[in-house]
Amino acid sequence: MNNGNLYPESELVSLLKQRQEHAFNYLYDHYAGSLYSVIVSIVPDRELSNDLLQEVFVKIWRQIESYDNTKGRLFTWMLNVARNASIDAIRSKNFQQSKQNRELTENVYEEGGSVQTNTDHIGLRKIVHKLKDEYRLLVELSYFEGYTQDEISKMLNIPLGTVKTRLRSALIQLKQVIKA
Amino acid sequence: MDLDAYIQSGLIESYVLGLTSAEETAEVERLRSQYIEIDDAINDFALNLEKKAFENAISPPPELKEKIFAAIHNDHQANPPALVQPAYDEPTLQARIRNIRTWRIIAAASIILFIVSAALNLYFYNQYNDKQEAYQALLSERESLQANNQIYQTQLKEWQSAAAMMADSTMATVKMRSPKGKDDAATVFWNTLSKDVYVMVNKLPEPRTGRQYQLWAMVDGKHVDAGVLDLSCTSVCKMKNIPKAEAFAITLEKEGGNKVPNLKALYVMGTI
Repeated sequence: MNNGNLYPESELVSLLKQRQEHAFNYLYDHYAGSLYSVIVSIVPDRELSNDLLQEVFVKIWRQIESYDNTKGRLFTWMLNVARNASIDAIRSKNFQQSKQNRELTENVYEEGGSVQTNTDHIGLRKIVHKLKDEYRLLVELSYFEGYTQDEISKMLNIPLGTVKTRLRSALIQLKQVIKA
Repeated sequence: MDLDAYIQSGLIESYVLGLTSAEETAEVERLRSQYIEIDDAINDFALNLEKKAFENAISPPPELKEKIFAAIHNDHQANPPALVQPAYDEPTLQARIRNIRTWRIIAAASIILFIVSAALNLYFYNQYNDKQEAYQALLSERESLQANNQIYQTQLKEWQSAAAMMADSTMATVKMRSPKGKDDAATVFWNTLSKDVYVMVNKLPEPRTGRQYQLWAMVDGKHVDAGVLDLSCTSVCKMKNIPKAEAFAITLEKEGGNKVPNLKALYVMGTI
């Protein structure tokens, strides 16, 4: 893949580990958009998303030492940092309370068992709309809402084994979707 | 192992998306190092996901970059990374550590020596003070002994001369008695040859302040002044020379003596 990369990934990583600010500047210019797209597809609140993007870049800056390039691509690592920070934010008590208040005042409703939020058609989340409905729900709940398979099993009243196999099938379909 | 089935199981996608459990993650990482096919499948999916994320990128607000870099810059200053400092070469570092160790030992040894020396100084100083005090005590004791010795010598000489005087056959002894009592209150010695007069105080009471005993000689019925008794005289006191006398008397007079005796204050008298 080449997105106009100035540095080969290994060189970028080594410069980042030396805390070179110009390398970090490049990292931001190059990856901020795709990481932001993941954050906003999980977190509906824009101000919170902005704070999270900052949190994510500070985390990358601090934890770049712990990134091991034999265990995967730099983006994969950063994507997981961004997703984890976003999931932590929306599953925190504060956020859950304010979300409840919002739902009560704005009369947001549920449709077909899927939680409708304004994050639905934004960023990376767009790709799940190409999945079958039952698969889309599982990918949304697990990847974008951060529920465990056990929680999903109880929520949807489906056996845990079924959740597991169905999610695996959903991801195989996702692989086909993103390849296209 | 059926690699195709494994690759088609969805586990690889779960792994890349961070949806696997700790055991599943460990399993995938173990297998990817064993089977290049699995490693390829992981990289393929990660790359496609990355591409999709780039296609769907959303630009964050432009002012955010400055804010984020300010935060990073602050963090950088608050937690400076160890790597920014040039690392010392291993041998240099070893030598430095050894050097520091040597100096530490020297410093520790000097501190110990200093403490020991200070303690010894204090100990010897205290010893010196004790000895100095003991020496001063001995010195003053010796002085007081010497002074006492001199006093005894003087007293001995006085008593020797008194004894010699009493043994002298030319010496007339006059016992002075109080008109009230029988006791010898004092004794007057009168040398019949040299006419020298001495008084030995036996039981005369101590005179009041401002008063002094005075000796009188009775010559042809008249009182002749024979001198006052020196207050410091404790044994035998030499009085005035009296060529001729029938009797002696001691009266209490004002300090320095009188020309005429105050006979009301007559204490003792005796005839030769």
